[in-house]
Amino acid sequence: MARMLPAKVERGRFRRRLIALFLDWMSWGYVAYGVMYFLNDYWWRIPLERFYSTLTLPPWGWPAAVLGTLAMAVVCELTGYSLGERALKLERKRERPLTKEELLRGRAAGKPFWRTQWGIMAVLLLALTVALGWHIVKIDPEALIHPSPRAREMLSEIFPPDFRHFRVPDPAFELRGLPYSILDLMVLTIFMALLATVLGAAVALPLSFLGARNIMGFSPAGWLVYGVVRGFFNIFRSIETMLWAVVFAIWIRWGSPLAGIMALTVHTIAALGKLYSEQVEGIDPGPVEAVVAAGGSRAEVIRYAVLPQVIPSFWAFTLYRWDINVRMSTVIALVGGGGIGDMLFYYKNEGKWALLGAVVITIVAVVWAMDYLSGRLRERIT
Amino acid sequence: MPPGYPEAYLKGKPRWMSLDAVADFFYFGFRNLRKQLSIAVLDMGAVAVLWLLMNYVIIRLSTGQIGYTLVPWWIFGVGVVEAAALWESFGRSFGHRVARLELRRTDGREPTLKQKVLYWLLWHVSVLPLFPLLLVPSPHERGSGLELRPFTMEGRVPRPWWRTSTGIYVAWLMGVALTAAISVTVSWEDLVRLFTKAGTTAKFWRSFFSPDTSIILKTIRELIVTVFMAMTATSFAVLVAVPLSFLAARNLMRGVVGRFIYTVIRVTMSIIRSIEPVVWAIFFLVWVRVELAPFAGVLALFVHSVSDLTKLYAERLESIDPGLIEAIAATGANRLQILRYAVIPQIVNPYISFTLYRWDINIRMATVVGVVGGGGIGQALFFYLTGNLWQQAGTVMLFIIALVWGIDYLSARLRAKLA
Repeated sequence: MARMLPAKVERGRFRRRLIALFLDWMSWGYVAYGVMYFLNDYWWRIPLERFYSTLTLPPWGWPAAVLGTLAMAVVCELTGYSLGERALKLERKRERPLTKEELLRGRAAGKPFWRTQWGIMAVLLLALTVALGWHIVKIDPEALIHPSPRAREMLSEIFPPDFRHFRVPDPAFELRGLPYSILDLMVLTIFMALLATVLGAAVALPLSFLGARNIMGFSPAGWLVYGVVRGFFNIFRSIETMLWAVVFAIWIRWGSPLAGIMALTVHTIAALGKLYSEQVEGIDPGPVEAVVAAGGSRAEVIRYAVLPQVIPSFWAFTLYRWDINVRMSTVIALVGGGGIGDMLFYYKNEGKWALLGAVVITIVAVVWAMDYLSGRLRERIT
Repeated sequence: MPPGYPEAYLKGKPRWMSLDAVADFFYFGFRNLRKQLSIAVLDMGAVAVLWLLMNYVIIRLSTGQIGYTLVPWWIFGVGVVEAAALWESFGRSFGHRVARLELRRTDGREPTLKQKVLYWLLWHVSVLPLFPLLLVPSPHERGSGLELRPFTMEGRVPRPWWRTSTGIYVAWLMGVALTAAISVTVSWEDLVRLFTKAGTTAKFWRSFFSPDTSIILKTIRELIVTVFMAMTATSFAVLVAVPLSFLAARNLMRGVVGRFIYTVIRVTMSIIRSIEPVVWAIFFLVWVRVELAPFAGVLALFVHSVSDLTKLYAERLESIDPGLIEAIAATGANRLQILRYAVIPQIVNPYISFTLYRWDINIRMATVVGVVGGGGIGQALFFYLTGNLWQQAGTVMLFIIALVWGIDYLSARLRAKLA
């Protein structure tokens, strides 16, 4: 055992060195990218390729870039200007990683970070990022101070907002032949969020137990189910509600509230499922052991030992999710999800700013109230 | 001077004339007013919501239209008030339950029917004009010999939820709300399409396995723009939000002026936060020139991030350990030194972690903001979608998913390291 230990440490250290080298390589690649961007932007001015022409390289450029950045990374590792070593708390010519105390002591006794070697690199990279961002996004303070003529028109019209169609439907705006007022659509939007949350929570609740390690991790089959459920949560969570809305708008119908509900539901299942199952994993094992010792089955363990511990936080998460769903459902119409967004984007496209102002104020009032209410309720519950 | 009385009784002012007594009267009076009023408002609100929803369902199911009231508004008002009064007098109302109170006799026993009726009658002359509630105890409580006491389960058999009035109310509310929601959002043909037309999305899924390789380079460029939009918006938002957060922390803003600034900033921020970045993007797209689309997107993300980060930062500041501040202050440090040695060490890591979190959100949001025309990959997606170029749209979606997943993983790992 004692003889195996150094080898193990050595292997870990080798891996860390590799990761450090990789990080340095990536940061130098980033620098090269930035340089290429500025070169393209200022010197070449090739009209067609100037459009974010960041990856245009001559044929010999790619190998040169790859090898050149790698060489720079190696040089950095050797001279000490290495961000990767710093990030992994490695130091050159040292047998072991620095401990936290040593690092702290070194920092307190030594130079300020912007005069250390890695600090110089970090500051340079930050400056490069800001400069790149400034040019890629085309930040233009002048455009902010001098608004376009359309903006002046909008500002003069939007105050005061026109609440004429709050209760009485606007004859110019129809959805599938039916007239809707702002209030009608706002209520419909809240209902969409409600349905999505209830459906999502109803599906996520049983799934969350299948995705909890302390419930499932007693047998190989259990581990398999756990892995599958967790993978499902992770994959579906990273697909955004808006993308789901695109899919369901094609599937069901563009502008159908059901498409928005389904999109919100799918994302809610994944997000709530993850939160729920993490909560289940964090419970106190004492009651579980007690019920098991009394001869309880798995269902009884869940009913009498797990559920009482997690129900308050389940409520809190569900309320939180409802809040998010209300926010999302107001704009999901953009990609065909239905709700008050239909009206919002209709007035925006028509340029009826006063009516748009009324819609926006209604949305703000509702979202703000939901935020406040769910915050207060969550405070009470937990 | 009559004999046998202490001198103070005759020469001193009576207690009700002293300033303390007046202050006490108003202090306890307003506390009582607030308690009773919040219970009444909660009950009326609960009844009103249920009533409106039931009307909504009835109108929707009988006529197919959308409507909210079947009766004139004054009948609605009287009905709501009366229902709340009855509920509070004869049962344990929603408001009582939220406030964790119950109606008992002053000696703690169950009220009799006569007392309940008296309470109900006096409720109207006491709660509706509001000012009698300044008296402690309130006239309707005093007149009926009842009072609101903290609820206790001692010596009682717990009832299942379906035998409590609040439980029945909540069940009804959920049932009616779900019926209303389903009746207005779900139509039969949509439901049929949901179960029969899954095949129409196959064109997306197919492109996930055979993406359009000719647009990959272009998509990566757009992806880079999106990442930089989020990065720029986040970094500028941090610069604004950090100073603002100190002004929005309750424990640092003492005094009248401080509390005023605190309130103004908190309210402004919460209003700004309730407007989605997409709506901000609509506004800024009109504001700046058309060719500056990514800039408009950045401005939208920036505004929303400032308000969100200020809130997160300020909440963190409010929960710092005051012991360290006292310790540093005890050494004779000035305010700047207190900030440097007691406050900042406590907040650096959470601030970085919130910033990463916000950066993560901003990348998601940047894709969405692009859809309204804010530049970056969202705009490309919208372009392909409106042009019915499904395979290209699917390819772009694949890239968005990969980006969001990667950033999510990265920021979660980094935040776990920081914590």
